[in-house]
Amino acid sequence: MKGTSMSARKIISLSIVLLAVSFFSGNAQADVKLQGYFNSAAREVKATNDPAQKREILNNEFKAVSGALTTVESMPQTTDGDRAGIERYKSALQDNQNELNGTNGYARVPDGQLNAFSNYVVQNAEQADQTITISVVTLLLIIIVVILIAR
Amino acid sequence: MQMPCNRLRARVARSGKEFLGISGCVAFALFLYSCASIPTASRDALAANAAPMRYSIVSIIHGDADYVFHDSLGVEHIADDDALAKARTVAEQNPFAEAFIFHEIPQQHFLVFFPLNDGEFYYYRGGRLIDSETYSRAAGDQRFASELALYDRFHVAEQSPQTRFFLYFGHEIPEFTGYGYDVSHPERMFTINDLAEGLQHITGDTARFDLAVMSTCYNGTPHTIAVLAPYARFLIASPENLHLSYFDLHPLEHLEIGLQNTDIGAFAKAFAQNAFDTLSANVETTITVAVYDADRTKPFLRNAGAAYERTMKTIATLTNVPPESIAHCDCGDNAAYASKGINDGVLIFYRPPEFGRAKDITTHSGWECWKDKVWQTENKQLIEGIQK
Repeated sequence: MKGTSMSARKIISLSIVLLAVSFFSGNAQADVKLQGYFNSAAREVKATNDPAQKREILNNEFKAVSGALTTVESMPQTTDGDRAGIERYKSALQDNQNELNGTNGYARVPDGQLNAFSNYVVQNAEQADQTITISVVTLLLIIIVVILIAR
Repeated sequence: MQMPCNRLRARVARSGKEFLGISGCVAFALFLYSCASIPTASRDALAANAAPMRYSIVSIIHGDADYVFHDSLGVEHIADDDALAKARTVAEQNPFAEAFIFHEIPQQHFLVFFPLNDGEFYYYRGGRLIDSETYSRAAGDQRFASELALYDRFHVAEQSPQTRFFLYFGHEIPEFTGYGYDVSHPERMFTINDLAEGLQHITGDTARFDLAVMSTCYNGTPHTIAVLAPYARFLIASPENLHLSYFDLHPLEHLEIGLQNTDIGAFAKAFAQNAFDTLSANVETTITVAVYDADRTKPFLRNAGAAYERTMKTIATLTNVPPESIAHCDCGDNAAYASKGINDGVLIFYRPPEFGRAKDITTHSGWECWKDKVWQTENKQLIEGIQK
């Protein structure tokens, strides 16, 4: 119970900070922050030589963003339009995760292609921003929850 | 005894005030001068004395949205700034060209309330920067009213360049609806018809651009090409997603060499091949670069037009669904479009994505369509096959 109220407090505090930053720096920055998260993970993947570690980094990344998407999707203030966008985003991430692990009909990404795959994930996310519509406020909430989960 | 001193103080104070006043006026004048472009008289003289230019390049770079991407090393880039730098290099590397570059930037405010200019303009002639200034995009009813006014101011009407290029960099230009393209002005509408209107103004009633390059996602469609075809002999566009690193502009440098022994059709093909090669070396997602010969695609566009317009109208009625969220598909997969002539006048450079469901799709027709519900029902088996 205490943990829940702490998280709620953290979400509210971070929301205020990020919304203020977003207001002054321009709304378009929200999805940039989410792209930056994928990019950081890709950099970590390339920094290690161990394929098992590369897979773990990518799996943790997918888990964190998917968890954040599910959390924000279940919030009462999320609009139906945003829920549809979130569902598409989740579906794209699930596809990435399936391919990484060779599940759900996908051939497993070979060890030697994990760096290229991490670039693919970043580029896919950058392109998804143009085709998946999620409002700025919802995007900011997703970023906040990702930050909390990743901590 | 105090009087002279007071008088002196008063004089000093007055002369101080005068000094401050004069300094302020000078500073303000300098500020105004720095904001102003080249005076009209000297600009006219420059144009009158200038040798005719062989080539003309008009570039519009949309930067009023999210244009951040990361390269394969993880370095962050702002796509519109990159495109601007490339367009300026092309202008500088063309001693026989005039170049107009318009950079549409996000609206900023001075002291919260006072809107600042949201456009940057550069005019090059013979490889030299003749003028650069900021402008407001709010003027006029037309989407490109401000840009067209600047074009008219600098274009030397008496001189007609041999070869004319148009370049557009930005997100997919909507075919309908069109609100929200500019993040700073979501209420403004912008569709491919607005761009065509702008091109019509530049080209006049008779001449066409020799090559129009659409460095955007999903503008290699029957509707977009049909709308732009009256204003360009050849068009290059991406039927699918185009990564924000955009098309490589190097082939446009030194046109006096690049176009020396070749026609514009062959040049367009070489440009597309180079863009495709550069993207292939850097991007893991799908790459599609298509060259359209405006005249040779006419029969296909006539055949496909009715079905495409019907689908567009249906989708446009789905007011609660943003157009960009509706999936696209290769026109070649849809019986309504895969008619004879789909391959005429189009040259496609295609590479499937390195990962994902679509990595085994080996061909692309060069034309992108909307996935409507009818198509989805008729092609249920095909979709399920792809999904498996």
